Amino acid sequence: MNGQGIHACKASDVAPGQQKIVRINNMPIGIFEIGDGEYHAMLNICPHRGGQLCEGPQCGTAVNGGDFGIEYGRRNELVRCAWHGWEFDIRTGEALADPKMKAKTFEVSVHGNDLYVHM
Amino acid sequence: MIVDCDCHNYWSSAEVLLPYLDEYHRDYFTRGEQPGPRGSFPNANRPWLHPEGFKRMDINPETQDEQYRIMKEKHLDAYNIDYAIMTGDEAMEASTIANPFYAHALVKAYNDWLIDEWLSRDSRLKGSIMIAPQAPDLAAQEIRRLGHRSDMVQVLASHGTERPYGNPFYHPIFEACAEVGLPFAIHLGGQGGINTNPIAAGPTRYFWETHALLGQSAQTHVASMIAEGVFEKWPELYFIVIECGVAWAAPILWRLDADYKALRKETPWLKMLPSEYFRRNIRFTTQPLEQPETGVEHLWSILDAMYGRETLMFASDYPHWDYDDVQKLHIPPEWRGDVLGNNAMQVYRRLQNAGVNTTAAVETA
Ligand code: FES
Repeated sequence: MNGQGIHACKASDVAPGQQKIVRINNMPIGIFEIGDGEYHAMLNICPHRGGQLCEGPQCGTAVNGGDFGIEYGRRNELVRCAWHGWEFDIRTGEALADPKMKAKTFEVSVHGNDLYVHM
Repeated sequence: MIVDCDCHNYWSSAEVLLPYLDEYHRDYFTRGEQPGPRGSFPNANRPWLHPEGFKRMDINPETQDEQYRIMKEKHLDAYNIDYAIMTGDEAMEASTIANPFYAHALVKAYNDWLIDEWLSRDSRLKGSIMIAPQAPDLAAQEIRRLGHRSDMVQVLASHGTERPYGNPFYHPIFEACAEVGLPFAIHLGGQGGINTNPIAAGPTRYFWETHALLGQSAQTHVASMIAEGVFEKWPELYFIVIECGVAWAAPILWRLDADYKALRKETPWLKMLPSEYFRRNIRFTTQPLEQPETGVEHLWSILDAMYGRETLMFASDYPHWDYDDVQKLHIPPEWRGDVLGNNAMQVYRRLQNAGVNTTAAVETA
C-alpha cells in the first residue's frame, strides 16, 4: 500500500453487515466491515449492468450444497447487487456464479477511528 | 422515442383498494381470511416466492407518494422515457381466485385506483385495464367501462390461466377489446390457485428454475390464439406477450407452420400460415431477453428469425430484480429505434393521439 490513502469515513460509521456508501474522487464507493475489524471497499458500480452494486444487502449465502443439503455461511462476506442480485465476494470482488465477472475493489487501511481507501 | 411496455406500479399496501370496493366485497377484504400478513393480499396464491423479494434493492418506497417519486427519478427521468405503460403487480394475481365475482371486484377496484393514483400524476404514465379472465363476461364489461379513456392503452391479464387464451371461453374479452380498439396483453404471473397448469409436467420447485421456464404457458397461448382463429375473427387485434422470454418464438413458429401445412383441415378457418398471423398480430416485449453465454450474436439471429425488428417492443420491468436498462439492451443497434419506441407507437394506437411528450411531463398531482 502506498501512502496514506484517501480519508473515507469513520470506522464507527461502518458496522458489520451495514455498509456505508461514500464518494471519493467523485466515485461512489461502498465501505464494508466483514468482521473482526476487517474493512474493504468496492466501487458502487456493478460489472454486470452498471447497477448500484453496494446498495444491496451485505449478507452470507448457501455454502454447502453437498448431498443436496443447504447450509448458511460466509456471513457478511458478500454483497448482493441491488439490481439483479448477483452475489459478489467483498474481499475479491468476484461474482460467485461467474468469477470472470469482477467488481472493482480497493484496499482500506485503518488509523485509529479513521478509514482510508487506497486507489 | 422510448416506450416502456412493462413498468410496474406498486401499491404501499393492498388496502389502498378498500375505498374502491363495493360494501359486499369490502367485507371479504377486511374480515375475510387473508393468505398472508394483512396488506399482502392476494400474492400468497403464488406457488413460487422469490427468495430475495421481487424488487431492485435500491428501490424501497414506503408511502404512495414515494412510489411515484422514485419511479420518476430513477426510471422515467433518468432514461427519458416518453411513455411508460403501467402493468400493476399483485393485482394480476386476482386471476388465481376461484370466486369470479370477488376477482372481478378486485381488478375493478385496482383499475379505479390506478386512474386516481397513477395516471393522474404524470401524462407519461399510461394504463392497462386489468381483468379477471376467469369471468370473461365481467371482464368484457370492465373493458367497455374504461376502454374509451384516452389514458388506457391495453387490456391486461396474467399468463397463468385455467385454459389457453384462444379457447372460445375467452372470446367475449377479445370482442370487447376489438370494440374499444385496445390490444390484449398477457404478463407473466397468475400461477397457482385455480390456474393449476402453469408449468408443463407439473410444478417445479425453485424460483429461478421456474422463472427460466416462463415461456411455457406463453407458447401455449400463442399457438392457441392462432389456431382458434382469434385473428381471423378480429384481424386488427394485437396480442402482446409481456415478460415471457422471446427467443423461443421462432422455433415454435417453425413447428406450427410445418404441422399446419400437413393438418390444415383441423382448423379450416385459418387463411394464413401461423407465422403470418404471428407477424401481423402478435408482439413481444423484451425484458427478460435471453443472454446466451455463447455470444450475443446467437440471440440476434434468433430474434431475426422471429421478425424481431417488427415484433419486439422495449420493456424495462421496473423495478424488478431483473430490470433492463434502456442503454444495455442486447439487440442489433440498427433496430433500436423500432424496438425502443416505433413498434409500440404502432401497436398502442391510443398513444398516437396522445401527442408526443418531448419535454418533461406535466405533473398534475
Ligand atoms: S447490475 Fe449488478 S447484478 Fe446486474
